[in-house]
Amino acid sequence: MSINSAFHSQRKWNIGFILFLTLLLVLLSQISIRLTLITALGISLGFVLQKSRFCLVSALRDPILIGMTQLTRAFLLLLGISILGFALVSWGASQRNIPLSLNVFPMGVHTVVGGLLFGIGMVLAGGCSTGIIIRIGEGFAMQMLAFFGLAVGSVLGERSLKSWRYTFGEWPGIFLPDIFGWVPTLILEIIVLLTLWQLARWWQKKQLGE
Amino acid sequence: MTRFSIDIWGEMCPIPLIKAKQKLSSMQCGDILVLETEHSCTSRGIVVWAKANRYIIEEKEVANGIWHLELTKTHD
Repeated sequence: MSINSAFHSQRKWNIGFILFLTLLLVLLSQISIRLTLITALGISLGFVLQKSRFCLVSALRDPILIGMTQLTRAFLLLLGISILGFALVSWGASQRNIPLSLNVFPMGVHTVVGGLLFGIGMVLAGGCSTGIIIRIGEGFAMQMLAFFGLAVGSVLGERSLKSWRYTFGEWPGIFLPDIFGWVPTLILEIIVLLTLWQLARWWQKKQLGE
Repeated sequence: MTRFSIDIWGEMCPIPLIKAKQKLSSMQCGDILVLETEHSCTSRGIVVWAKANRYIIEEKEVANGIWHLELTKTHD
């Protein structure tokens, strides 16, 4: 009985939020359609992210900590879908001569250093960047502290990126489709992901002793 | 058959799971471990972990954003 009433008390909040968001979008559409679409996309992505309970930290931490690779495999699936989507967009853009400006940079020592720092931070904070934002929305006070750290770290990293790249240098950038062509690259990448998938399955079986 | 419970209220992943694992190792077969969390990922994580380890697990969202878990230790 108390369970139902707990859910019932939330219903008016849910209706209130939906009303508020709809009005916000209507208001925004009076100013700019582009802004409205971006906001709607942002809200939908946030909703899906929260409901999916997808956790990048868990995907990378759990294989070592508790020997579970369910989320790791979900992450590999995410990468596979992203690769196909990226290929489709890039291919479409090149067919229609639309220039793509991507924030893609070659790897270097600083990539590894940054990855390690971010990895330690995200396990301690209990969330990657989107995870932290989701959990702030869910009402975790501790994650606001983590968000402060994330913001400070991002600004510092952005400001000092040039000197990092200058100090350690970069390996030459490689764009696989330029070397192999699109189809062989895609096949190669999917094979690599499938291998990792099998590896993750094997690891969980070994760890849990099934 | 005894009921145990540990306090994981407000704890971030992976602390709840580590605590549950520790508690579980000191329990007898057939004992039940009761957990309550307000963290959706913690709840999900424990359920997936328990199923992979072939423990019996019951998950209930008792209020919006509060999960009540009952884990039965079925084997050592």
